[in-house]
Amino acid sequence: MKEECVVRKNNIIKQDSTNSITKPIIDTFKSRESHMCVKSGSLSLPQCDTPGVPGTVTQRTCVFGGARIVLMPITDALHLVHGPIGCAACTWDIRGSKSSESKLYKQGCSSDLNEKDIVFGGEKKLYDSIIDLYKLHDPGAIFVYATCVSGVIGDDIKSVCRQAEKVTGCRVIPVESEGFQNHNKTKGHWIGCDALLDYVIGTSPYENPSRYDVNIVGEFNVAGDLWGIRPLLEYLGLNIITAITGDSKVEDIAKAHYGKLNIVQCQKSSNYLAKKMEKKYGTPSLKVNFFGISSTINSITDIVEFFDDDEMKVRANILIENMTKNLDEELKEYKDRLKGKTVALYAGGNKSWSLVRAFEELGMEVVLSGTKNGMKEDYERIMEVVKVGTVVVDDANSTELMKLLKKYKPDLLISGAKEKYIALKLKIGFCDFNHDRISAFAGFKGFLEFAREVDAAVSTTVWDVVKIDLKT
Amino acid sequence: MTKFKRNEIEECSTSEGFNKEFAVVNPTKMCQPMGAVQAMMGVKNAMPLIHGSQGCATYMRFQLIRHYREPIEVASTSLNEKTVIYGGEPNLLKALKNISEKQNPDIIGVMSSCLTETIGDDVDGIIKKFEDANIGKNLPAMVSIPTPSYAGSHVEGYDKAILSLIKYFARESVPNNKVNIILGNLSPSNLVEIKNIMKDLNVEPILLTDTSENLDAPLNEKALKLHEFGTSLDELRDTANSKATISITKHNDSGAKYLEKKFSIRSISKSMPIGIRNTDIFIKNVCKVMDLDIPKKIIRDRGRLADVLVDAHAYNYRRKVAIFGDVDMVIAIARFTYEMGMMPKVLCVGAESPRFREDLNELINDMGYKPIILENKDLFDFEKVLESNPVDILIGNAYGASIANKFNIPLFRIGFPIFDRIGTQRIKFIGYTGGIEFVDAITNMILDFYYDDEGYKVEDKELSFDPQSFDEYLFESSAK
Repeated sequence: MKEECVVRKNNIIKQDSTNSITKPIIDTFKSRESHMCVKSGSLSLPQCDTPGVPGTVTQRTCVFGGARIVLMPITDALHLVHGPIGCAACTWDIRGSKSSESKLYKQGCSSDLNEKDIVFGGEKKLYDSIIDLYKLHDPGAIFVYATCVSGVIGDDIKSVCRQAEKVTGCRVIPVESEGFQNHNKTKGHWIGCDALLDYVIGTSPYENPSRYDVNIVGEFNVAGDLWGIRPLLEYLGLNIITAITGDSKVEDIAKAHYGKLNIVQCQKSSNYLAKKMEKKYGTPSLKVNFFGISSTINSITDIVEFFDDDEMKVRANILIENMTKNLDEELKEYKDRLKGKTVALYAGGNKSWSLVRAFEELGMEVVLSGTKNGMKEDYERIMEVVKVGTVVVDDANSTELMKLLKKYKPDLLISGAKEKYIALKLKIGFCDFNHDRISAFAGFKGFLEFAREVDAAVSTTVWDVVKIDLKT
Repeated sequence: MTKFKRNEIEECSTSEGFNKEFAVVNPTKMCQPMGAVQAMMGVKNAMPLIHGSQGCATYMRFQLIRHYREPIEVASTSLNEKTVIYGGEPNLLKALKNISEKQNPDIIGVMSSCLTETIGDDVDGIIKKFEDANIGKNLPAMVSIPTPSYAGSHVEGYDKAILSLIKYFARESVPNNKVNIILGNLSPSNLVEIKNIMKDLNVEPILLTDTSENLDAPLNEKALKLHEFGTSLDELRDTANSKATISITKHNDSGAKYLEKKFSIRSISKSMPIGIRNTDIFIKNVCKVMDLDIPKKIIRDRGRLADVLVDAHAYNYRRKVAIFGDVDMVIAIARFTYEMGMMPKVLCVGAESPRFREDLNELINDMGYKPIILENKDLFDFEKVLESNPVDILIGNAYGASIANKFNIPLFRIGFPIFDRIGTQRIKFIGYTGGIEFVDAITNMILDFYYDDEGYKVEDKELSFDPQSFDEYLFESSAK
């Protein structure tokens, strides 16, 4: 296996050095060729953040989707989609974010716009729907999402929300997330963040503030990730006001401005929010990464350094020592099997760089990394961490992804539900790192779980059996 | 800005007994393009294209992929802000060009969306324009399927896709002695059952549309290409020469009616062939149309279904059932559970339909009682009704799991979407043979849930001895 790997790597380098400009990486649209490149000595980046090619099977989604996934994990809020039924019906309860208390956020709410509303406007129906929902559930807040149609017919959701808030006394928050606004869902993340910045953060007082109050920003508690991070930080002596937005409550987010530090996990979706909070409230932020052992250790060390507190330093040392004590031993079994195997990453922006080191710790090699909605700075970060010879891809559609997987034959693809069966039909192992995954991967314990799942995806006997040819 | 009621502030306090009027919470329906995409999945060498924002194609694919556990390809015209202001024509033209050149399908099914319907894109006109600009080239057939997401539901979307395909392709030539069968969004195994029945009857069907191979593909990279199986364009053309069209989902019969009007192809629209009575009707209809006797094998299969109904009856008798999902499936499954000796108690559908009510009235007449009917309602309403009307079994899609959990009853998963179990391709209830599998599975589920490991009934609460309430009972009866 190891030999095979080296050969493969040589291939990549060979191709890159001989004809990186003239010969495209795979056969695709001319306009798409510059969206893929191979890391070499020079500082080339793939072209990115451009509108999708019409007529392709895009792996991207809409601005509404982007806003919704940022806000959906707020557990005691209702998320009302102001649009035809499909926008809510296809997207409710898909985030995979877990809650320790309220399950309200899992409800799929829609104003169910129909023909009459399109002609006469949907504002009255939206208002009535908000009142309905308030009476039913008394939620922490009602987030009201604009969709393509509500935008086109010109419904003034801001004004309806204001009116409904006055009447109910409940926070009713407009999210101006018309789906068509931009080709890049990241715009949606920002719109979601804006809703929090404009209507939630800074609106509630906080009793007994201390210098150790922090927020965990850009952690959505998918499969319970937050629960792997939270205890580590609490052991250090930090007081977590809220996560934004995993397993959070509206009232806690409203106090986030009291945080002395924003600890930013998903930098793709939430740097925007951290930057804005810095400007508005002077809250400094620290980029962390709790995926992988060394990344987790580095994150802890960085946080301790920020607080420059002797007791915290001692605690950090105890924590790291204890958490990593038996880890190598427990990981050994998996590492033995995974050594030299290759990985393709095609997930949300953050994961395309933050996981590279984690795979190295398992003895695996990242041969391809890509994102659907990456921007220049995202690709710069990818280029910083991947090895020479790694293919870096922007916004690959399903055909391109298939061709890339066929060409580079990784042992594993890390991606989401839409890409899963492309890999599996090619008999390539698959591990979900998006909303559909079933195990928490963050922190030390999470890394062990991660190793277990990667091992299951790559080392199962199933691959041996299904590759047997009946005719030979 | 709309005017609001003055006294709204006083009215507005949260209240327990309150019934919502406007908001939909936990929908039991999806939008029209979804239904049309489901229909396009069964057309050979086809590329569905949604003219709208990227999210429409992506989220629908997401739902289909996690249900079928197969790669699903739906292209998007990827509209953005500019295209919304100036119209989506340039993007649709580019999409048609790109798909024709790169994928080269036999057919592109162009679904509109709420967005493009509202901004008024003329999809037919744009297709025409593209064809005119490319005269002489070998282009795929391009079929416009108008699916404004703000009207109706995915059920209408499926119906419109079939109607559009038939309207576009159906050509009169030589009679073919076939029967068109309009299916609806059914599992591949259910379609295989229909095919088997037709084989047993020795009648060649034209299935509209046939997803049986495409959505239950072997582990092979061919599954990543355009669907190599399914209803072919030749078959679609030939629908105008069949003996009859049988719609096994009543709400999808617009295409059948069109063929009847235009080509005098008889249209038969009956309940889904589920259970004894409805399958009998289907078999008899095919036999009548084709002038056949019922073959022995079919009679044997029917006998086996009858046998399992008898084998299972003691476990199923008067089990209260609540069913939710698509209209045609809900009513047919309700009748089947009634045939099994169960009691359909609550039925919930996302649409409003007089034809559903017709079937329902017939069922009510046979059963002798009226179940609770939730039309155009959602799972919130459904759950609320179940609070005061307890049932033993829930039948519906994966969204029922939390409801079943809440009431501590089992969920029997049928319908769409089911993302928390594997094997949705193989869910089967159509025909006598499908019925046998259904009865086996649901009865075994009842045995698992309501009987102990030795096969004895887990004791009901009223049978267990509670000394205090027994004392009260004695006291009350002596007082009388």
